Formats: sequence, structure tokens, C-alpha cells
Amino acid sequence: MNTFYLHSALSFIAAYLITHRDPPPLPYNAFTAAFVFLSIFWMLWLTTYFYNRVYFRKMPKVIAFGAFFIKELIVANLKIAFDIVTPHFYMRPTVIAFPLAAKTDLEITLLSCIISLTPGTLSIDVSEDKEVLYIHALYVKGNDIEHLKHKIKDGFERPLLELTS
Amino acid sequence: MSLFQITLTIAMAVLSLCLLLTAIRFAIGPTLPDRITAFDLIVANVIGIIAIYTEYSGNEDFLDVAIILSVFGFLGSITFAYYIMRINH
Amino acid sequence: MLQDYELQVIKEVVSCVLILGGVTFMFIATIGLLRFPDFYTRMSAITKGSSLGVGLILIGLGIYFNQPDIMLKVLAIIAFTFITAPVAAHVIARTAVRNRSPFWSKTNLKEFKPYLDKEHLEKVKNHDMYRAEAEAQVEQKPNGGGDT
Repeated sequence: MNTFYLHSALSFIAAYLITHRDPPPLPYNAFTAAFVFLSIFWMLWLTTYFYNRVYFRKMPKVIAFGAFFIKELIVANLKIAFDIVTPHFYMRPTVIAFPLAAKTDLEITLLSCIISLTPGTLSIDVSEDKEVLYIHALYVKGNDIEHLKHKIKDGFERPLLELTS
Repeated sequence: MSLFQITLTIAMAVLSLCLLLTAIRFAIGPTLPDRITAFDLIVANVIGIIAIYTEYSGNEDFLDVAIILSVFGFLGSITFAYYIMRINH
Repeated sequence: MLQDYELQVIKEVVSCVLILGGVTFMFIATIGLLRFPDFYTRMSAITKGSSLGVGLILIGLGIYFNQPDIMLKVLAIIAFTFITAPVAAHVIARTAVRNRSPFWSKTNLKEFKPYLDKEHLEKVKNHDMYRAEAEAQVEQKPNGGGDT
């Protein structure tokens, strides 16, 4: 994690210095700045192979998780939009009790934020012993609660625990 | 009037309509949490309106208003929620 | 010169498409706020719709201006929105449960019963005036046939 912050700061400063040079070597716009930032970040990531193997292996997983999250966000919105604009309600709201494998506060916060932003689910409350997360779900196919729990556990909780551990 | 400006005008009109509809829910909302939800959506709508107005006028300083609103609107709804939780316990 | 002109047109078209997409999502979220039957479904409709709509509009703005500092501000606003929207939704939903905001008549509450029993949310008598209104609405709903 510290390596990530350090690399972000280094590549930001380098990109700033390159794009703000007095006779600018590159055209001053956002795409070149982002390109310079990403290429410097990529080169720094390649060097971590020699001194920080864990970070080297985690970075592709972070990118894959981010892409999966954005895909789920757009799919969730289209699903709810379809339900809103058609006159019939297809939803079957259910409150499910989701057993948490995440223990620390940071993991629980991240998990409930991600759950609130993805398919038709809204986290309501955590029980006092931090064992159970109550989720309000809109779409439960055929009242199959276990299927939804498995989906959340395999899709969001397991990758998140792998990343934060 | 170019195509771009027509698009911006349409977007502004639709967002204003959104504000009006949200105000209806704010007025009739049966419970108090419904009103907080409407307030949350009003803040998001105003951020969108400020963004479109920035693009319309070409003056990029208005974007700072959107930054401040995105932080303090959240604080507003949180404060409302805690206040309601307190007065009922 | 020609190249500059074409770049301007491309930026405007991409920005237009993104802004119209964002505005559509915001409008759908607003209609959902008016149409959905109970508080929790409304909440889950607008949390996603408004955050995605604001994100798309702001990315359209950043692409139109195409300057690094404006892009940085836009990314800051998007990050704030995506951090604060679910937190606010969580706090408001918890307040609604504590305030005994009624669920839709079709909601499956089987797994939520232990929580409600533990917090004495069903038994405590409440003298709040909003509670009376909400109960009257719940009683009216089966008679009206619901929204199916």
C-alpha cells in the first residue's frame, strides 16, 4: 500500500514537471498528461519485481477488480432503469443476512460501500458483533437467497480480502 | 446555435425538470427519511447543473463550487439523518 | 488548421454523448424516486443512478475542456461522489429502520426478523406523528391492490 502511494506521488510529480516545462515538449492537454502519468507508473511497477513481489502480483488483480466493479455498476443501472420505465414492477425485494468473513473495520466499510453501489443491493446495518451484514436486495431470482449470497461472496468479498490481506 | 449548444440546453432543461420532480417528492414524502433522500438527489442534481453551466459559459472557475458542494451536501444529509435518529430515542 | 477543427468537433461529439447519457440516468433515477413503492427501493434506485449520472456528466466536461488541472478537479469530484454516496445511503437507511419506516408489502423479511426483535423495533409504541401517517398508508395498500 505504501509503495502504491509513493509511486502515485512520484509519477504525478514527474508528469507535472514534464507538462509544465516552459517550451512544452508535448501539447498541453489532459490526454498527454494522463498518458505520461500512466507510462511512468507502469515503468515503476515493472521495477517492483526486484524488491516487492507482493505488490507486483497484486496490481493486475486491482485493475481486474476495478473493471469488474465498473461493469457491475453499469449493469445494475440498466436493470433498474428497465424496471423504472416499464409499468410493471419485476422486483421482489428481500432483506438478507449476509455472514461476513471480513473482520477489520476498513474491510467492512469497503465491502458495504461496494455492495451499496452494485446490482440492486443496499446495505442497511451491521450487527453489533460484526458478524452479519443486513442487505436489502431488489432482484432475487426465484427466492433463491443462497445463490445471491454465493454471488456476493465470490464476486466481491473474496477478491477484496485477497487485496487487503 | 451549434449542435453542442442545443445539447447543453436540452440537458439543462431536463435537469431542471428533475429538480422539479424531486421537489414534489420532497413535499409529499410520507416519512422524514424520504425527504432526506430527496435532498440527497437535489444535491446531485445541482452538481450536474453546475457542471453543465461551466461548459455553457466556458468559465472554468465554477468547478470549485461543485467540489465544495460534493463534500458539504453529503455532510448535510448525514447531519439530518443523525438528528432524526436522536429525536426519536 | 483543419486538424485542429476536426479535433474540436470530435471532443464536442464525445462530450455531448456522455452528457446526454448522464442526464438520462439522472432523469430515470428521478422518475424512480417518484414511482417506487417504499423508502428502501427508492434509496437503492437513486444511489446508483445519481452517482453514475454525475460521473458521466463530469467526465464529459473534462473531455471538452481537455486540460490537466480541470481533469484533476473532475476526478476529485467523482472520487468524492463515489465515496460519499454509499455512506450517506447507509446512514439514511439505518435511520429509516430505527425510525420504523414501513417496508413494501411484498418484501421478504424472513431473515431480518431477529434484528427487528432484538432492537425492539416492532414492540415499542411510538408517539411520533409521522409514524401514524405511515401506518395509515400501510393499511391502505392491500385494499388498493398494490402496484402489480
